[in-house]
Amino acid sequence: MGLRILSEKERQKNIDDNESNLIAQLQGVSKKFKSTKNESLHDINLEVYQEDFLSILGSSGCGKTTILKMMCGLIKSTAGKINWPTSNFQNSSENPANLSFVFQEPNLLPWMNVYDNIKLPLKIYKENSYKADENIYDIIKLVGLEGFEEYYPRQLSGGMSMRVSIARALVTQPKVLLMDEPFSALDETRRFDLSQEILKIKKEKKLTVVYVTHSIYESVFLSNRIYVMQSNPGKIFEEFDFSNQEKPEDYRFTPQFFEQTKIVSDSLKRAQNAE
Amino acid sequence: MQNNKIHSLLVIIILFLAWEISFHLLNLKWYLLPPPSMILVSILNNAHLLFLSLLTTLKIAIVALILSVIVSTSFSIVFYFSKFIERSLTPITVILQVTPIIAIAPLISIWVDSSEIATLICAFLVAFFPLLANTIAGFKSTEKKHLELLRLYGANKYQILRFVVIPNALPYFLSGLKISSGLALIGAIVGEFVIGPISGHSGLAYRIIESGYQLDIPKMFGAVFLISLSGIMLFNLVRLISYLILRKWHSSYQQVD
Ligand SMILES: Nc1ncnc2c1ncn2[C@@H]1O[C@H](COP(=O)(O)OP(=O)(O)O)[C@@H](O)[C@H]1O
Ligand SMILES: [Mg+2]
Repeated sequence: MGLRILSEKERQKNIDDNESNLIAQLQGVSKKFKSTKNESLHDINLEVYQEDFLSILGSSGCGKTTILKMMCGLIKSTAGKINWPTSNFQNSSENPANLSFVFQEPNLLPWMNVYDNIKLPLKIYKENSYKADENIYDIIKLVGLEGFEEYYPRQLSGGMSMRVSIARALVTQPKVLLMDEPFSALDETRRFDLSQEILKIKKEKKLTVVYVTHSIYESVFLSNRIYVMQSNPGKIFEEFDFSNQEKPEDYRFTPQFFEQTKIVSDSLKRAQNAE
Repeated sequence: MQNNKIHSLLVIIILFLAWEISFHLLNLKWYLLPPPSMILVSILNNAHLLFLSLLTTLKIAIVALILSVIVSTSFSIVFYFSKFIERSLTPITVILQVTPIIAIAPLISIWVDSSEIATLICAFLVAFFPLLANTIAGFKSTEKKHLELLRLYGANKYQILRFVVIPNALPYFLSGLKISSGLALIGAIVGEFVIGPISGHSGLAYRIIESGYQLDIPKMFGAVFLISLSGIMLFNLVRLISYLILRKWHSSYQQVD
């Protein structure tokens, strides 16, 4: 089967076949910031299915962060619809517990130690009387931060800060995880280790992940579906689906991986030429 | 750090020694510039009087400082919740701030009977505005990414205030407090100069005036010396508070090893 570009027809068929699995859908979404003259994003159509590891791949400035922030309601779209068929994340008065966001940088509060940073979402939920399970120590163990509970952000390395940020995102037991280039500031080996941990956690917790990145390798290695973007204005250029392909243990070193990287890389090049 | 302190102490001791020696070598007049030893003796002779005055002045400065903390924090919080009130009050605070305290002090002493309270108002007015300005700046320096994080989890305005805005403003507030601690003392001294001796037991400013009348120059120097000393004490108190609050997380207290 392998990886291939989806035609518009196949895309529509995919939507019809998987309707019951649809987690989120963007239909003709555009965004123009008040301070800019042109649209930053134009006519974005995008589907997220149950337990997807979906990557949005594009060069910097093409609008990836904006897409994620619109999905979780931090930014309002100027046109189009964003649907979450199974729950309503848009409206901030609703319990947003099913959704978490990992920011481009760790975004920890410097005045709270690791434990309190991770606990913060739960604290807010409890005060606002949403249900919230205390599972902080499980999460701390899951991301390998045992013994660092009392540390303050300034005492942590970049990799550890990112772990805290991921732990904070997981502590609310979300069903969907939006990640915005979470590992872009890390060196390659850390990056690889953490990506693998994310895959493991995703499997264990049956998460749906929307993963924004500018790294072709990362997107191919991690995801089952990829949206390649072009910029000025930000648009979806091509969509890849390789859901029905098993990834072997050492996928990263197989000829298959390199082949698929090449295909996605070509697509990204064509996207840049099309601008 | 420790080395630094010893260093500055040494410099001060050397300066005092040089002062003492040059007084004797150059045959200076003691009623113009008394040597440190003479000032020390004068302080000891007037210990009771000067100590009580020191307490009076310090009390006014500290109460003024505490009032400034309470009022500027309250203002900042009210401004945080209501842009309308902030916009209405800001011009008034600016006008009050740019008016020199010397100009208002006589008015205050006319309006307020107790010279102690009048002096307190002076000290408060001087200490309050820098603290308010710093605290407001701190409130406004909240980072967008932190706000987004809190909004993501559906935090309300009050939660945002507690978890992000106030802790983020603390360093600004505390550096404002350092400035204000010195100013509160200046306000307490200037106030007493203009308004007259503080009822109860007069403060250090009146001791200076009084020494002038009595031509007791060593005592005058003693009072000045005690004012500097209390300024240093106040400043270090605020520095200690600042250290205790920020040492764990703020980058200005990063351990270097
Ligand atoms: N708050 C904003 N105001 C104005 N323009 C913005 C704002 N945020 C993003 N943009 C613009 O939108 C485009 C996409 O930005 P972004 O989503 O951050 O890109 P990416 O995450 O892909 O690097 C950029 O051209 C950027 O200048
Ligand atoms: Mg971005």
